[in-house]
Amino acid sequence: MLNLIQDTIVHAEPQTLGAASQGAGHAHGQTDWSVAAIVALPLLACVLTGLCAALRVKSKLPAWLTVASLAGAFALTAKTFAAHFMGAESHAFVVHVFDWVTFSWAADVHAQGPQTNELVANFAFYLDSLSALWMLFVTGLATLIALYASEYMSHDQGPGYCRFFAAFSLFVFSMACLVMADNLLLLYLGWEGVGLCSYLLIGYFYKKPSAVAAAKKAFIINRIGDLFLAMGVMLIFVQFGTVEYSVLFEKAKPYIELARAGNFAQIPFVVKLIPCLLMGGAFGKSAQLPLYVWLPDAMEGPTPVSALIHAATMVTAGVFLIARTYPLFLLSEVALPAVAWVGALTALLSATIGMAQFDIKRIMAYSTVSQLGYMFCGLAVLSPSGGVFHVVTHAFFKALLFLCCGAVMHGFAGQLDLRKLSGVMKMPGWRVVGFGMLIGCLNLAGFPLTAGYFSKDMILAEAFVTPGTAVIGWILLLTAGLTAYYTFRVFFRVFVGPVAYEMGDEHHGADHGHDHEHGHGQGHGHAKDHGGGDGGHHQPHAPGWAINTVLATLAVLSLAATGLYFVGGDHGAVARLVDQSSAGFHSPLAHHESGAGQAPDHGAAAGAGRASGHAVVSYVPEFVRARAHQGEVHAGTFFGADPHKAMYFVSAGVGAVGIFVAFWLHLAGRKTAAASRADALLPALGPLPGWAQGKWYVDEFYDFLVRKPLWVLSHILYLIDSYLVDGLVDFVGAAPKAAGKVIRPSQSGELHGYALGMAGGAVILIVIVALVAT
Amino acid sequence: MTERLAFLYPEIVLFVATCVVMVLGLSKSLRARKSSAVVAGLSVLVAGFLAVVSTPRASGDASCPLSGVVFSHAMTPEMGQVLLPELAPYAKAVIALVGALLLLPLAGTVDRSDEAKIASGRAGFDPLRSNRAEFYAFYLFSLTGLMLCASADDLIWLFLALELTSLPTYIMVAISTSRNRSREAGVKYFFLGALGAAVFLYGFALVYGGTGTTNLNAIAHSISTGGLNTITLLGMVVSILGLCFKIAAAPMHFYTPDVYEGAAPQVSGFLAFVPKTAGFIAILLLCAAVGWGYSHAESGVGSLLHAVSADPLVQGTGKRLPYLLWLMIWVIAALTMTIGNVLALLQRSVKRMLAYSSIAHSGYMLVGVLAGPGDSASTSGVSAVLFYLLAYGVMNAGTFAVLAALERGTDAEGERIEVETLDDLRGLCASHPLLGWTMVVCSLSLLGLPPLLGFFGKLPLFTSGIAAGQITLVVVLGLNSAIAAFYYLRLAFTPLLESRDEGTPAPVLAPFRSRAAGAVIAAVGVLVLSAVGGWAMGHAFDAAKVSGAAAVTAEGH
Repeated sequence: MLNLIQDTIVHAEPQTLGAASQGAGHAHGQTDWSVAAIVALPLLACVLTGLCAALRVKSKLPAWLTVASLAGAFALTAKTFAAHFMGAESHAFVVHVFDWVTFSWAADVHAQGPQTNELVANFAFYLDSLSALWMLFVTGLATLIALYASEYMSHDQGPGYCRFFAAFSLFVFSMACLVMADNLLLLYLGWEGVGLCSYLLIGYFYKKPSAVAAAKKAFIINRIGDLFLAMGVMLIFVQFGTVEYSVLFEKAKPYIELARAGNFAQIPFVVKLIPCLLMGGAFGKSAQLPLYVWLPDAMEGPTPVSALIHAATMVTAGVFLIARTYPLFLLSEVALPAVAWVGALTALLSATIGMAQFDIKRIMAYSTVSQLGYMFCGLAVLSPSGGVFHVVTHAFFKALLFLCCGAVMHGFAGQLDLRKLSGVMKMPGWRVVGFGMLIGCLNLAGFPLTAGYFSKDMILAEAFVTPGTAVIGWILLLTAGLTAYYTFRVFFRVFVGPVAYEMGDEHHGADHGHDHEHGHGQGHGHAKDHGGGDGGHHQPHAPGWAINTVLATLAVLSLAATGLYFVGGDHGAVARLVDQSSAGFHSPLAHHESGAGQAPDHGAAAGAGRASGHAVVSYVPEFVRARAHQGEVHAGTFFGADPHKAMYFVSAGVGAVGIFVAFWLHLAGRKTAAASRADALLPALGPLPGWAQGKWYVDEFYDFLVRKPLWVLSHILYLIDSYLVDGLVDFVGAAPKAAGKVIRPSQSGELHGYALGMAGGAVILIVIVALVAT
Repeated sequence: MTERLAFLYPEIVLFVATCVVMVLGLSKSLRARKSSAVVAGLSVLVAGFLAVVSTPRASGDASCPLSGVVFSHAMTPEMGQVLLPELAPYAKAVIALVGALLLLPLAGTVDRSDEAKIASGRAGFDPLRSNRAEFYAFYLFSLTGLMLCASADDLIWLFLALELTSLPTYIMVAISTSRNRSREAGVKYFFLGALGAAVFLYGFALVYGGTGTTNLNAIAHSISTGGLNTITLLGMVVSILGLCFKIAAAPMHFYTPDVYEGAAPQVSGFLAFVPKTAGFIAILLLCAAVGWGYSHAESGVGSLLHAVSADPLVQGTGKRLPYLLWLMIWVIAALTMTIGNVLALLQRSVKRMLAYSSIAHSGYMLVGVLAGPGDSASTSGVSAVLFYLLAYGVMNAGTFAVLAALERGTDAEGERIEVETLDDLRGLCASHPLLGWTMVVCSLSLLGLPPLLGFFGKLPLFTSGIAAGQITLVVVLGLNSAIAAFYYLRLAFTPLLESRDEGTPAPVLAPFRSRAAGAVIAAVGVLVLSAVGGWAMGHAFDAAKVSGAAAVTAEGH
């Protein structure tokens, strides 16, 4: 729609992506409609479900439409993936759909060169191994979760059902735009689109004040991040004159060369600012410090939404952004360390909060924030493949965990308090949910030989390998222990142990949300003491086939993700895919220059990477290099051992400790749902558990720091506005009117007057012209 | 010279249709009388189609698909107008489309009470009292004249075409209602129009005196080789002043509100497009004859910006009209948009408000005239003007058609009472959703609200103005767009948000379905063109190619 200013200037043929996609065989410009259909199908589903809403469809038709189109999108993604990215070598290619924005203001094209005076952003898709990988799990999970939601949302059939699936499909469309965009403008469109859909779906139960507040909170906090992203994109355009990745990385090459030589001083400050701004956008969308507070509240949305958007896909957009613009992050000596610290601190902080919560969905939310911190650390400690691998494994097992929690919530009328549920696995019909939960928990806790274990290890090991980031590694290791604890706290409390439950107070069919205001002081009733006001809904109902199928599939996939580590080359298939993309990065220093802990297989890995011919960014920032040579830090070792090998055992040990503590405190000897051995331990810790349960009062702090001053400021501004500005505006508004009143008499309606005006006006103009001429 | 007729197929079709309509409209059979409007509409569409497919293209190896005549470059100087060699097909297609759109609300403008009497058997058909034949014939004549303007390559041809465009409209205004107000408006319009025509005819004569030829191409050649002498320059100045009457620009704008208010709204809508388009085509032709190749610095805000900025964007190309001509059009543009908008602010009468806004839009388009040709659709002012004519024609047709489609009963003499003030439009979206939303869409588009057509029309005016270095004028244009928002938003939101006062009757639909249909089609057209505007703009840019002789930098004066 915006391609209204179509200029005749032909912009330069997109160059190859600077980092990792050099080589022949690019298929620029060809429109592969099957790729376009990946994006078009979800949009079609959105339109069709919207149509269903207009036609007042009451059946499950919207769900089936959505599932069918998303499955189609997944099939096409898989086809594209199989065709282009299965081999040892892959090349990025651009699929041009239509010209979107072409704007030139070439005052003097030839003097300035055409590039600086035009903005080209086509509706085109940039497919490389990274975007293909992302799309694969986005569409796959979206299909499964849509199927799950067809049952989960069934009590809302009617307009709400249509609304849900329309927003759901729109989300997948936006996410596809975000991931596959070939330029930052289209990425921004997708970025805003997923934010909008997130807002719509968090606020799905719009009659419930807490849901509306949560939606608003998510939207507003995301705006802060988006502002940074927007500024980053603008700065990129100002600095490089393009928003297209291929051209951008080509133009950034001189700076990358400078950075590689360690001449950070020669890189302009503006260029160094770009990754810092992009980082702000990533932290907003991916719920990192200081902008993480929206994500736990976002659990007000229906659980499928929490699973898809707020655990598996949308919140990883920040990770994607950094992976996509990874070469730019190498241009600043502070960018990646900042990402590492933010990620590590977020991981630790939210893990401590997660330990003290009672709402199982919120625990999962905090664990998502924590795991996202891991992913950022993975990128920042120069192991993008570890970060991305963690994104993939996390997407599966966290979606599984959320969907299990959702099944519990669905079956127990909105009950999510782990003090009111126990032994769910032993109840009839809950076996699939229980085993699904177990598999998810094992993954999240990093139990040996699960996918989560391998992906976490890649990050942990690399944190110890990369010089200067060992502290990050220790924080992450501590977090891993805490994660194992709070994960199995949920499992041991809710799914095993004595059978006892208390129904929630949510009525089926009513269009209101799930009430999980925890700590509201109601007595923790015992198993047989069902709370009153259940509306006759006393028995939990086990999930039906759709939910069970999806849970089983996801459980299998979560386990199968382990295989990604073992197939498709060293470090696994994901690492290969990442290395071939813009995030492609080998850390040659760690393996070849430091000398310590060099493992033959890693040497082979890098060698294989080189031999296979794709250009690898063998770039190491000078600050890393310098510190490594100073020898102050045990570069690349973990107490003298190769971290890659040591971590297999260390992290397994830490995880086992966490699980054992959880077992001891929450399962062993527990007789009721409400009380456990942990309760006796709490007083010993002083106020800490209370503070953690109160989420370290970060929300209150922000309230004090931001909202209150804004409130005061807004009242001051209101006074200024109503007295000073309004007066001015009234004056400005009155001026044209007064001018009109002055010249109005000229429109007397008298023919003679008009003729005089015309002739007189003409004469006056001619006289002026004549005067100027002489 | 028969090849030359290929340029004129559309006009020939229109002329033949005019004759047919004149006969049909006098038929005793009601069906035959009614078919005159259909014939008129079809002929306009056919003319537009022919303009696209049969006009010989001067550029490349284009041959005329219908006539089979192949024109080579060498032949073109004698063949047709060459100053804007690609103009005719685009302009005629736009004229045909908007003209057909403007025809829809004209239904039932004349003979309404007479036809009612005939239908009820109280009177027989009297050819002497019937106006239908003339009315549609005048409509077609006017469009014929307009298309002839687009083919003009000679001052005499241009003058005759302009008068053929205007003369029928004087009578259309006078007979559009049976009130004295319309007759008064018609007479005023005629006299002032005669004055305007006298001025630009005098200008044409001076140009002839200065160059010794009436052929536009020869004039351009003479100016580019021999320089611009004082007589020719004065002739151009006077001509453009006179043409300001056609486009309703200051200081020739005085008639506009009175005439628009006096005429029936559907005829006012016709006036807002047809003479304006003729005027702009004539102005573009004259400016192309002079050429945009002169250089001089800007004063005012622009010069300040030039002084502090090294940005080539602000510096501009420095290619302009000759200084005096540039200065005059600059002053006219600034005056026109300011006067139009400021006076529109004060209006409660919708027709007067739209009349003033029509003045303001002429001012906007003059910015494009000043900017001149460019390398791309966003830098070419000529293409901006041509696209804006289409955009304005469609949006404007929608607003006037809404007014035409509504009436508040009939008065004692059987004459319908028009929707007069904004208050009559209150709650229109509730009572007549389609018409109400048409009003909303069209006025928001006239305001230039993205992503509607008006925005995409105005955008190249801004960018071409900036590209040509007309910063001060673009600032004035921006300020005026802001002022215009005031009354356009009122026009958009009165039907949408305000509710009708208790006791005042809601306006009813006029018993002519095509009027409402015209309004809705215009609204749909606005939305469709908003979506495919790039395509239309591409054609406008193609049509805006200025031929070599005029584009080549002439000697500075």
